[in-house]
Amino acid sequence: MVKTIIITSAIAVALIVYFSLSLYIFPQFYRSIEARRPQANVTDVILSARDITLGQTLTISITGTNNGEDADMQIVSVGFPNLTATDNIKVLKHNFDQTPILISPGELLSSEYTNTDSSIVAQYSSVEAFSRPWETGKTYSTNIEVIPKIEGRFVIFVKSVALPHTSEQAHYPLDGILDPQKEFVEPYSVQVTKP
Amino acid sequence: MYGLGRKLFAGYVLVSLGMLLAIAGGSWDITNHLLNKPETFFAPPHAVLYSGAATAVVGTVLVFSGSKAGSVRAGKVVWPAKLVIVGVIMLISAAPVDFAWHSAFGLDGLLSPPHFVLVSGMIIGSTGALIGLTQSTKRLPSVLIVIAILPIWLASSGMIDMFSLPFSETNYFNFNPHPTLGVIVATLAFPFLISACLIGSSALAGKRFGVLSMAGAAFIAIGVLTSIIPNSALIATIPFYISSIIPIVTADVLLAFSRSRFSLYAAGIIVSIAFFMMYYPLITYTYNEVFGRKVVWPSLIPQIYFEMIQDVFLVVAIPTAAMGTLGALLIDRLTRNKKYSDKLQQVA
Repeated sequence: MVKTIIITSAIAVALIVYFSLSLYIFPQFYRSIEARRPQANVTDVILSARDITLGQTLTISITGTNNGEDADMQIVSVGFPNLTATDNIKVLKHNFDQTPILISPGELLSSEYTNTDSSIVAQYSSVEAFSRPWETGKTYSTNIEVIPKIEGRFVIFVKSVALPHTSEQAHYPLDGILDPQKEFVEPYSVQVTKP
Repeated sequence: MYGLGRKLFAGYVLVSLGMLLAIAGGSWDITNHLLNKPETFFAPPHAVLYSGAATAVVGTVLVFSGSKAGSVRAGKVVWPAKLVIVGVIMLISAAPVDFAWHSAFGLDGLLSPPHFVLVSGMIIGSTGALIGLTQSTKRLPSVLIVIAILPIWLASSGMIDMFSLPFSETNYFNFNPHPTLGVIVATLAFPFLISACLIGSSALAGKRFGVLSMAGAAFIAIGVLTSIIPNSALIATIPFYISSIIPIVTADVLLAFSRSRFSLYAAGIIVSIAFFMMYYPLITYTYNEVFGRKVVWPSLIPQIYFEMIQDVFLVVAIPTAAMGTLGALLIDRLTRNKKYSDKLQQVA
């Protein structure tokens, strides 16, 4: 009888300790740990020329880095507001962990630095180069070749977004022009003239 | 060892070990896929999976030849051996089907026809190996009980994952379960499985203390190695995860101390009620679909999981306890049937 009481009490105490730990103490502790804060940055954007003639290729070399904590994913996006097709965009080389993707107008894109909520339709062509995960301090770069289709000012939008987007530092640039995704971009341009 | 040759016995052990390696490799692979780590054919999780499959094939060859040689009716394959052979054939044949599926439809999700065949083969093969081993001796050594029960437990968990996790939407097919259905499947199936496997391991050991705890500890160790350590954001949560050993040891003590039916069902409830903790971190994705509705980035799993744990526990506690009782009831029935058939054999 005494043995039964001891065993029953020990079991009850063990279960109380377990459920206190797993439902109250551990959750409280882990909820207090802040989410990682990656810091997206674009360190280099090099255009092969400032002026080109129609039909000539323009090469854009772009380098991104993460100066914060590890990101589950970081994207370096190069948008071409003057282009509505991807047939004259080519990724020449890259060292990203995954293969960069070409985005055509009409495809669904995330917006406002979220991943799946509030998707919007792409209005122009772009290239998204990304690494999953993108560890702290790592640098990735890509060379993109593009042939402008019309003469005039050919605009290029550059940005980088680290996900999850846990702070303002997770996107680059921090301010400036907003693109259709309601995300800040750094504009570059070249003048395209008649041959 | 009685009634079975050494070759057959070794075959069953190799099949169980092989299946265990294969499913552990598969679990590690799923974690790496979630993290989107670039992979090759020779990635470490794949190597573990292939080694496991190769071990299971070698074991099956031994089972086949040992079964034919050692059978009472010479030349006939005994039925647990048939299960092993069918299971391993399904496991092996899933590979070319999976390749064809990838070639036709690109990236696949967790639930796809070849994956379903693969996991079914694992469950069937490892069940055959367990039955074969139980027929080989009066009492299996504790380590062998653990080795034989774990692949069934893990492969069945994989099957439940397929029908509850939202990982099966691809460009061609959307095999994702409805979020509520996924939660119902997980809430009912996981507790039943935990209870059946852990109470079953204790029953196979004649309810001696230690085996149930060893099986639970091995399950937790595999979870730590394959689902938590590969994701650096989860490493801090290891103490939480391994604390699930407390209800497991408690149930083990209860069963070793008391042989009553009440204790059996109580033990079933105790182990099953910890299912939401034991299936961390993957289960976050299933319940988030209903309780959280957030984007689950791998590094945010702890925040999302611990925000919903109390709400989930309140909702699932009663069905979980009921399913834990059912799992214990199943093992109780199977044990009684085995005792009855053993007595009949003795009389005969």
